[in-house]
Amino acid sequence: MRKYLQIFKISFEEEFTYRLNFILWRIRNVMQIFLTYFIWSTVYSDPAKQIFGYDRTKILTYVFGIMIVRALVLSARAMDVSNDVASGNLSNYLTKPVNYFKYWFTRDISSKVLNLIFATVEFILLFLVLKPPFLFQTNIAVILAFLVSIIFAVIIYFLILFLLSSIPFWIPEIGWGSHFLVTVVIVEALSGSLFPINILPQGLQSIILATPFPYLIYFPVEVYLGNISGWALFGGLMVAASWVGVLWVFLNVVWQKGLKVYQSFGG
Amino acid sequence: MDRAIIVDGLVKDFEVTEREPGLTGAFKSLISPKKKIVNALKGVSFSIQPGELVGFIGPNGAGKTTTLKTLSGLLYPTAGFVEVLEFDPWKRNPEFLKQISLVMGQKNQLWWDLPAIETFELNRAIYDIPTRSYNENLKELTELLDVEKLLNTPVRKLSLGQRMRMELVAALIHKPKVLFLDEPTIGLDIIAQQKVRDFIYDYNRKYNATVLLTSHNMGDLINLARRVIIINDGKILYDGAFEDLIMQYAKEKIIKATLSNENNISNLEKIGKIKKLSFPEVVLSVPRSAAAVAASELLQNFPVDDLTIEEIPIEEIIRKAFKSEPKK
Repeated sequence: MRKYLQIFKISFEEEFTYRLNFILWRIRNVMQIFLTYFIWSTVYSDPAKQIFGYDRTKILTYVFGIMIVRALVLSARAMDVSNDVASGNLSNYLTKPVNYFKYWFTRDISSKVLNLIFATVEFILLFLVLKPPFLFQTNIAVILAFLVSIIFAVIIYFLILFLLSSIPFWIPEIGWGSHFLVTVVIVEALSGSLFPINILPQGLQSIILATPFPYLIYFPVEVYLGNISGWALFGGLMVAASWVGVLWVFLNVVWQKGLKVYQSFGG
Repeated sequence: MDRAIIVDGLVKDFEVTEREPGLTGAFKSLISPKKKIVNALKGVSFSIQPGELVGFIGPNGAGKTTTLKTLSGLLYPTAGFVEVLEFDPWKRNPEFLKQISLVMGQKNQLWWDLPAIETFELNRAIYDIPTRSYNENLKELTELLDVEKLLNTPVRKLSLGQRMRMELVAALIHKPKVLFLDEPTIGLDIIAQQKVRDFIYDYNRKYNATVLLTSHNMGDLINLARRVIIINDGKILYDGAFEDLIMQYAKEKIIKATLSNENNISNLEKIGKIKKLSFPEVVLSVPRSAAAVAASELLQNFPVDDLTIEEIPIEEIIRKAFKSEPKK
């Protein structure tokens, strides 16, 4: 355990050495919240109006909820794994008595803690500036379900990143392409970080809900808002849990195969 | 345990994708990649006693690094038997990993943006080193390598030589019993090379650690290894004492001289075998024992501006070894 505490500490310190990078990343997040906020704020300018089953309070809570959920779920370091694999730096870890998965999961958590601190500050500031209507959830059961959904989301995202980062075992020159496609294009579109998934046509919605992506952002936020409850909540959590299982098994198979072809490139 | 490392009939094949040059080549390899099998190791066998310091030499691509990587559990052997400290390296048992270390001259384990001490602290946690022995080891290693004052400097601000010494501290903080060094002096200046060499020598002596090092640098081997293994094209050509190798294959030394005019030039043959003569440069090969006499004769009888006596390059010794019958 002490191993991983130390990894947490050193990882946290390293994030601070990239201050400028970090600040720019936070600015990007705030800008995105601003944009999404104003779009929806305009659509729902009439407080009594209800579209897609959302009213002004709920949609704006959704937008603000994204801010915290994003910081918790989408701040991760595990995309750097592909670099370790492609450059051969992975060797440094494989020759040490340390679990490489746990190593990166710890680094992810340290990144999340740091981002959460900043996101909370931003949340308070934006809240004071925009004074949006916001739903403060008081139902303990709902909050608990929300926390469980967040844990699933964090693990799913970790597994997706790790799987993507295994591609360089076979195609070392892939670089950023696959990450960009998945983390920027697919995740942004399908996770619900721009709009709630349930505003889409029913058919499309069902397809997206069967993929792991909406369980990253959309599902936890909806759970928080109390829009998903009862059997739908249970079913959703089951789908998320199944994805954790499927991705975990898949990652282990891929990783074991990858290690066998690993040639410690570049040396 | 009478042998620290046992390798028997080790074979390692790699599958590599070949690519034709140019843009069309790139597209072709994308659509139908041409696979080729490379036989990096073709049945390598040797064993090493605990506490031995063995030099591994051979040209680029000979299979040195592949052997080290297999021994440290990074590569899965295609065939053959490998055992290090009675463990199968590929299983990467934590008890095994705690007792070995692999240092690659071209790879860093230090965290680039943080002071080296942070990496050491991390390794302390990873290797589960008790605080007291950690402090002792750290003090001892940093003193031996003369880096105590640099512990709190971010790694990226260190010179290459300083960084390599820090890498050694990080690699040895857990006092490994078996040490694999891949080109530990690559890119270092003469003074830094000497520091690293002295340290490896001391470490091997002091802790009776088994050290296997690869190098292109003849100096590393002359100063460190009593036993060398020459490997070429995936096969062992020579395995034995370093002195024997020199005596056997490097019977001559090379004298290089710069002449100021062409007087007397035809008499050069009397001093030694002319390997190259393109005025003003001349390269002679003379018997090892007669090198000093030959050099002074050259200085007395010829218009010499500059003169050096050198060892035969390692590649040439290997080539000579390669031409002879390989022995096991």
